Amino acid sequence: MNAPVAPKSARVDGRRQRSERTRQAIMDAYIALLRERPQIPTAAQIAVRAGVSTRSIFERFDDLQTLSLATVDYAFAIGESQVVARNVDGDRQTRLRSHVETRARTCEQWLPLWRVVVNNASRLDELDVRIRIVREVVSRRIELMYAPELGSVDADKRRDLLVALEILTDFESWGRMREVNGLSFEEACRVWVDTIDRLLPATPRDGHGS
Amino acid sequence: MAVPLQPATPTVARTDGRRLRSERTRQAIIEAYLALAEERSPHAPTAAEIAGRAGCSVRSIFERFSDILALQVAATDHAMNEIVALAQTHGRDGDRLTRITAQVGMRARTCERWLRLWRSLIVNQGQSDELKQRVLQSRQRAVARLDMMLVPELSTLDDREHRQLLIVLEALTDVESWGRMREFFGLSFDEACELWVQAIDRLLPSSRPIL
Repeated sequence: MNAPVAPKSARVDGRRQRSERTRQAIMDAYIALLRERPQIPTAAQIAVRAGVSTRSIFERFDDLQTLSLATVDYAFAIGESQVVARNVDGDRQTRLRSHVETRARTCEQWLPLWRVVVNNASRLDELDVRIRIVREVVSRRIELMYAPELGSVDADKRRDLLVALEILTDFESWGRMREVNGLSFEEACRVWVDTIDRLLPATPRDGHGS
Repeated sequence: MAVPLQPATPTVARTDGRRLRSERTRQAIIEAYLALAEERSPHAPTAAEIAGRAGCSVRSIFERFSDILALQVAATDHAMNEIVALAQTHGRDGDRLTRITAQVGMRARTCERWLRLWRSLIVNQGQSDELKQRVLQSRQRAVARLDMMLVPELSTLDDREHRQLLIVLEALTDVESWGRMREFFGLSFDEACELWVQAIDRLLPSSRPIL
């Protein structure tokens, strides 16, 4: 007796699912290679790491540039899902620690990819757009986490504080603390918490003060 | 009648002349590299482009530099020497605000002048230990200067706090931080300086009384 034949739509869905898994494996391989060596990997290197053929890559991506952009978007989506704002209504110290730990984990995980994106932004306008989006997201998070303190100062002062905090909690600032100055993850977090605490104005009495 | 012989140029003088011309060509190559690296930042110029700008042959470049990396290193040293030569220490004995303002003004002018070249250096340092060393030295110099200008405040801290505050101040006044204030956040030169002054003042502890 013949085995039951899967309906056509189920077969198509299965193929699509496998293809999507391969696509993800290719982008995961790309990110893994960047973490090992901060240079855009070749298609052959990505194929070996992903366990697929080079042809498989170019069946899913028009060229290496398209793959690079797709990988950046994929990484940003993962990154964004990891940085859910917590303790927004906590007291000052709780918000400081929560913000810094989340930001530090992002920097720790994504610094190698960030460096490649920044170094290649002048070659590809789309990368420049993504850098701007990430920086805007970082600034918005700072605004959200320190709303009570930032809301207590005038617009110019608020803008200056936001700029200073964005600069100080930049990926490269984290990278230098860890790589050049040899601080541990916890020590580097402590530096950021102390620094932000010193820069922020006093928390208003009705603004989740410590 | 015998034609009188021209007085022969002494060998030493001929050698000195050649050496001088060669040195001038070397200098022209370095300056051409720096000008092109700045214009095309962060892309590094090719040997042909550098030769075209310097008015010499590509061969002339490689007679003086073993490869493009050696030229990059020499050009970086040239730029860094210029930065050091221009660094002033005026204001170091002033009051807190005078010292912070002097430090910020000096750093801001350096960043404004060298931002594009710095980016080119960062992007093109690649796997070169020599270029990485230059980046590190430049940062160490920036830290040493902060340490010198802010002695009355930093000396009140214990070693750990002192070190951590220097790390923060270096990050705040990094060349790329300046670039972001100017390009991404759209601050004017004066606004960016004012931001640095305010932030440094807020981060520093009270000043030690000057005896």
